[in-house]
Amino acid sequence: MNLYDIIFYLFAAITIVSAFIVVNAKNIVYAAFSLLFTFFGVSGLYVLLGADFIAIVQVMVYIGGILVLLLFGVMLTHKITSVDIKAGSVQTIPAVIIIGIFAALLIGLMYSTHWAVNPAEIPVTTTKSLGKTLVTEYVLIFELLGILLLVAMIGAATIARRDGDK
Amino acid sequence: MDFSSLYDSLALIKPEIIISVTLVLIVVLDLIYDKNKKLVPYLALLGLIVSGIYILSDIANEGFAFKMSATSNKFGLLALDSFGSYFKLLIILTSVLIVFFAKHSVEIENTGKRQGEFYTLLFGMILGMMFMVSASDLIMIYVSMELLSFSSYVLAGFIKLRDRNSEASLKYIIFGGVASGVMLFGISLIYGLTGTTNLYSINAALQSGNINLIVLGFSLLLIVAGIGYKISAVPFHFWTPDVYEGAPISITAFLSVASKAAGFAILIRFIKTAFVTNVDGSGNWLLVPVFDWKTLISVFAILTMTLGNFAALWQDNLKRMLAYSSIAHAGYLLLGVVVFSQIGIEAILIYFAIYMLMNLGSFYIVMLIADKTGSEDIHDYSGLGYVTPFLGVSFAVFLVSLTGLPPTAGFIGKLYLFIALIDAKMTTLAVIAVLNSVVSLYYYIRVLKHMFLTKPNGEVKEIKLSTANVVYVIVLLIPVLVLGIYFSPLVNFAESCLAFLSF
Amino acid sequence: MYEYLNNIVGNEVITYFVVAALPLFLVVLPFALIAVLAERKVSAHMQDRLGPMRVGYHGILQTVADILKLIQKEDIIIPQADKKLFNLAPFLVFIGSYAVFAALPFSSKFIGTNAEVGIFYILAVSGFVVAGILMGGWASDNKYSLLGAMRSAAQIVSYEIPTAIVVLTLVMITGTLNLGTMSEQQTAYFWNWNILGGAGEGIQQILLIPFMVVAFTILFISTLAEVNRTPFDIPEAESELVAGFHTEYSGMKFAMFFLAEYANMFAVSAIIVSLLFGGYQSPFGYLGNTLGIPALIPFEQLFWFLSKGVFFVFVQMWLRWTLPRLRVDQLMTVCWKYLIPYAVFNLLIVGIITLI
Repeated sequence: MNLYDIIFYLFAAITIVSAFIVVNAKNIVYAAFSLLFTFFGVSGLYVLLGADFIAIVQVMVYIGGILVLLLFGVMLTHKITSVDIKAGSVQTIPAVIIIGIFAALLIGLMYSTHWAVNPAEIPVTTTKSLGKTLVTEYVLIFELLGILLLVAMIGAATIARRDGDK
Repeated sequence: MDFSSLYDSLALIKPEIIISVTLVLIVVLDLIYDKNKKLVPYLALLGLIVSGIYILSDIANEGFAFKMSATSNKFGLLALDSFGSYFKLLIILTSVLIVFFAKHSVEIENTGKRQGEFYTLLFGMILGMMFMVSASDLIMIYVSMELLSFSSYVLAGFIKLRDRNSEASLKYIIFGGVASGVMLFGISLIYGLTGTTNLYSINAALQSGNINLIVLGFSLLLIVAGIGYKISAVPFHFWTPDVYEGAPISITAFLSVASKAAGFAILIRFIKTAFVTNVDGSGNWLLVPVFDWKTLISVFAILTMTLGNFAALWQDNLKRMLAYSSIAHAGYLLLGVVVFSQIGIEAILIYFAIYMLMNLGSFYIVMLIADKTGSEDIHDYSGLGYVTPFLGVSFAVFLVSLTGLPPTAGFIGKLYLFIALIDAKMTTLAVIAVLNSVVSLYYYIRVLKHMFLTKPNGEVKEIKLSTANVVYVIVLLIPVLVLGIYFSPLVNFAESCLAFLSF
Repeated sequence: MYEYLNNIVGNEVITYFVVAALPLFLVVLPFALIAVLAERKVSAHMQDRLGPMRVGYHGILQTVADILKLIQKEDIIIPQADKKLFNLAPFLVFIGSYAVFAALPFSSKFIGTNAEVGIFYILAVSGFVVAGILMGGWASDNKYSLLGAMRSAAQIVSYEIPTAIVVLTLVMITGTLNLGTMSEQQTAYFWNWNILGGAGEGIQQILLIPFMVVAFTILFISTLAEVNRTPFDIPEAESELVAGFHTEYSGMKFAMFFLAEYANMFAVSAIIVSLLFGGYQSPFGYLGNTLGIPALIPFEQLFWFLSKGVFFVFVQMWLRWTLPRLRVDQLMTVCWKYLIPYAVFNLLIVGIITLI
């Protein structure tokens, strides 16, 4: 077990444990803050995979953007208006059974499969090649995502707009 | 850098480019004319018609667009072929009809200033669907599906008058999020197995063997779940009734026709491209023996049509009833997939063209009545047939056609499906489908019974129709009647649009 | 630097820790010591006062005395507070601001991690600060804290956008996200700095100058807002919110917030310096080159980097005592209606110029 293995298990543990808290926490604010560590752990795993750019994007988008918005939403509804948001769990046993089966299936699959593996490369910085691929091979998808974001923005504005201002 | 392949690709996707340009123009026009939204639908129509003309004129153009140059792969993100063009044409036609639909709709009129956004989002949906029907790469499929979904999530809750509207949007977004997540997981598994996201390369990888069949089956189930959600096949249909009921009627109609068509197109293309080794002389597809598509789709088809029809029996809300009926129709259409032959696909193409006409017609009449009486409940339809005979008779024609009785077009659609089934010696499925049609007769005719035979509780007000309304209904009504008798042009056209781009 | 330390220590893991701790002990702590005093002295002299005079010569040891006092203070946790989050928040905030230092190029030989994604990483980790502030504000169970935290988070998130766009402009010119490389490109004379069009030759460089000045202005304003300094100190507005998100904190936890704030002040100044003002490069060439002692150069670079950074910190202090505080709506207007559109246009124009 070398240093990288230890770091990998560390990040994996952070991800799993905090993800467990996210779904189990009674307090919705705890759940939201645990999500912070889940996202962080995942970005650590990306770093170990050699995907440095994706890792940073993960931090930037999820922690800097999504989580903060989520916290805003939770806090504005939870503490200020003192609405009690229930975050209990129901039907734990069937859920555990189903998830157990699903997990066993996935783990079984993972070990029994011959995955298409590419030879390991020394991790090089991915930013440049990522950018090049996005504007050459996947340019259509890149442009389409632009339209997707435009549509999402217009949609969000539409939903948020009060109906009064006709 | 070599741009020539990029230019070639751009030349192949002219219709899509026109749609995207129109989308942007609508946004700009919406900003310039802040007060007056009358021009927006006409701009939308213009864009759609130009795009439609391009599709028609380029219907013979085939080829891969956006090839993966770096991996020396000759297959691209998009496969442009006549099968895709047929569906694109269908989508454009539906969209044109929906634009008029929305123009006549009081609920859309009442959104006032937000109409510009309505058309922008509508074009988002159209664009997503147009890319979806010719996508030949899993990433492309996913992205175009998301574009379609995002726009439709918002549109489903576009009217914010009642809680039901927001509920529709919320349910749609939650189900949609789960479905696309599940599908993405399936895609990642397939990528892990084959090392590629391109459907053609996946086909090659599957033929070379050496694939863990259990994992493959698992990942395919996940992907089918994602697509099944779009075509609202049972058991992925839970969102359909609520969303169809809560969404504005024009969007419900659009979802039930165009979105479903795009879903079917991608399902067929996915199976055809990734799993078919070759097509034999009589048009049957030979599948790579890695996954039992036949059983899976048969089960889905039976479940979908049976559940759709039986659930529709109890519905008093017309929109909800039509939602379940559209689930049932998805079941019939799946029968066309299950035979895995060119005849089956041809039947689907024919059925979709007819389904578009009759379904839009029914929804349009429901909308006209709802706009005037403010109700979609079947009990408020009592006596309407005598007060406004034009609506009553045309509704009767559409519903009879949905049932699939002659001499309407619906009969022809069903006929071709059953012929394909019997051709493939799947008599059991054909019998189940016929029995289902009999069940569906009950709930369609029940509406007519209320309109013509039930005594109204009070005085029934006449529904005044404008000329535009009458013209719209007639435009849909005439093909439904004519295609029931003289259907060879449609059949010939569908037959000419069966070409898939192969290796 | 890393290899050198690795040779001394002999163990990979320990070296990592040493390298990680170096900026803290070499830069952040001494800087905070000096900056706290400087802030008081600067403000005092601007208001024609003397400021702290009693501890040491002209009050030089005032901060040391303050720290001693802070350490002795009782660590008060109010009973209604959410203890776990309350205790965690200061650390999260400090981690967020300290993580930035990992990618700052102090000199050509002293960069925590010479990661290719440097500046992008810096923008990303500031997300931790926002989360920490929200955490602290919420856990304090105090409406002023919560309001302060909300305002702060909204402000930081909004102003991250113009910052990112300006950074993008610079990335477009230099073709790299790596701050080390960026500094290296602005070779040792001030006319090669990015604010004066970068190290390029010809007409392009001259055309770029006005737009670089615009970029600098936007970057300076928005980073100022990101560290919640006056005139953007609405989250801590004493007259409205007591002290914002850290109202309920005392003792060392308060000191953590305080340290994070000063670390942030230096960090954003350092970002401005490395993006636009030549990074660690000297404006007039190196003494080491003239004297023929190459070993001197890294130390010179460290000196220049720190002095340039400290200069911008001084400008921040200067502004604090010059400008009045903005209102919340004005704050958001400045960001969304002015800075972002200007930044986008600037980006477009610079893009066109680089294409010429």
